[in-house]
Amino acid sequence: MERFYQFPLLLLLFGLIGFSGGCSPTVEIHQTDADFILKTVSTHTGSEGVLVNFWATWCEPCIEEFPMIVELSREYASQGLVVYFVSVDWLDEQAQVSTFLKEHGVTGLSFIKDQDSNEFIDAISKQWTGAIPFTIVFGKSSGNVVDLWEGKESKERFESAIKKALYESMGGS
Amino acid sequence: MLNRKITWMLPLFLIAKLLGGELAIGSFIPMADVKMRDISDKEISLNEAMGEKGLLVIFSCNTCPWVHAWEDRYITLAENYVPKGIGMIAVNPNEAYRERGDGIDDMKDRAKEYGYSFYYTLDEGSRLANAFGATRTPHIFLFNNERKLVYRGAIDDNARKPKKVKKPYLMNALDEMLAGREVAVTSTKALGCSIKFDK
Repeated sequence: MERFYQFPLLLLLFGLIGFSGGCSPTVEIHQTDADFILKTVSTHTGSEGVLVNFWATWCEPCIEEFPMIVELSREYASQGLVVYFVSVDWLDEQAQVSTFLKEHGVTGLSFIKDQDSNEFIDAISKQWTGAIPFTIVFGKSSGNVVDLWEGKESKERFESAIKKALYESMGGS
Repeated sequence: MLNRKITWMLPLFLIAKLLGGELAIGSFIPMADVKMRDISDKEISLNEAMGEKGLLVIFSCNTCPWVHAWEDRYITLAENYVPKGIGMIAVNPNEAYRERGDGIDDMKDRAKEYGYSFYYTLDEGSRLANAFGATRTPHIFLFNNERKLVYRGAIDDNARKPKKVKKPYLMNALDEMLAGREVAVTSTKALGCSIKFDK
């Protein structure tokens, strides 16, 4: 129950950090579980499409596609795309995660997994087998999953999913 | 009797393949006669690796930190279960990484360094991985003495700290299978490195 009350407060806090004009952009890493991540995603339903990318600092394909995802997050932000990165590094590697995110210009709220993997993976999506990188995309108007995949993918695949998420009410792209 | 079983099992395998998912529990070992190059330089099939009581297939590689974290469990499993009649084979499906640490010479070095006492074969073209619906390393598939899948998924719930494991999924499945009982938890998930298929 305590967690329930913490949720909006945390979002408000991260919102203030993310949007306060006087502060320099910063990244805030939240150790969390699947439930919190999905609740965060659901707060965007009706206003933004959401892309969530699961990655790790030691995962080569994740690192290879990471800059492209950051670039897409900027390119489509004005059209209503929000991108969250969820690190599945070990919790004691949070410093490396933070450094990596800063080096790649990621600001605002980011996550690091703090839950039993078997429960975490299934709670995020029954279709996720546990391989990373893993990307899941939620529609802007419905909040439903419009696309998901395991492994590194091309910019074209990402853009196709993003457009599906942003323009689903218009019949997709 | 065998024909009836095969007739019943075949749809399970086909459904799993059509859905593009992991091999369904109860399926027979796919591509069991396909020969693969082992680190011993011999050609080995899954049928040949099969033990009297079952077969443990681990999709594995040299280049994944999750494999490295769980690798001590590989050794323990081989020490404890091969003498009990379980055949054990690690299969490297990372076709796109043959020049990046997952070639046969790298595999030989790895096996020597970590003391692999089991087969470690090269899955050319990731054919086995595709047939099994394997997606990550490590990814476990356990077959019983009838060559039917009884467990798939994770080794346990703590890759990096073996002494802190609370749920030894695979060992439980092995013990239940060897005791002639139904495997209680037949499927689990774990984080792992995506298999590097050659696109």
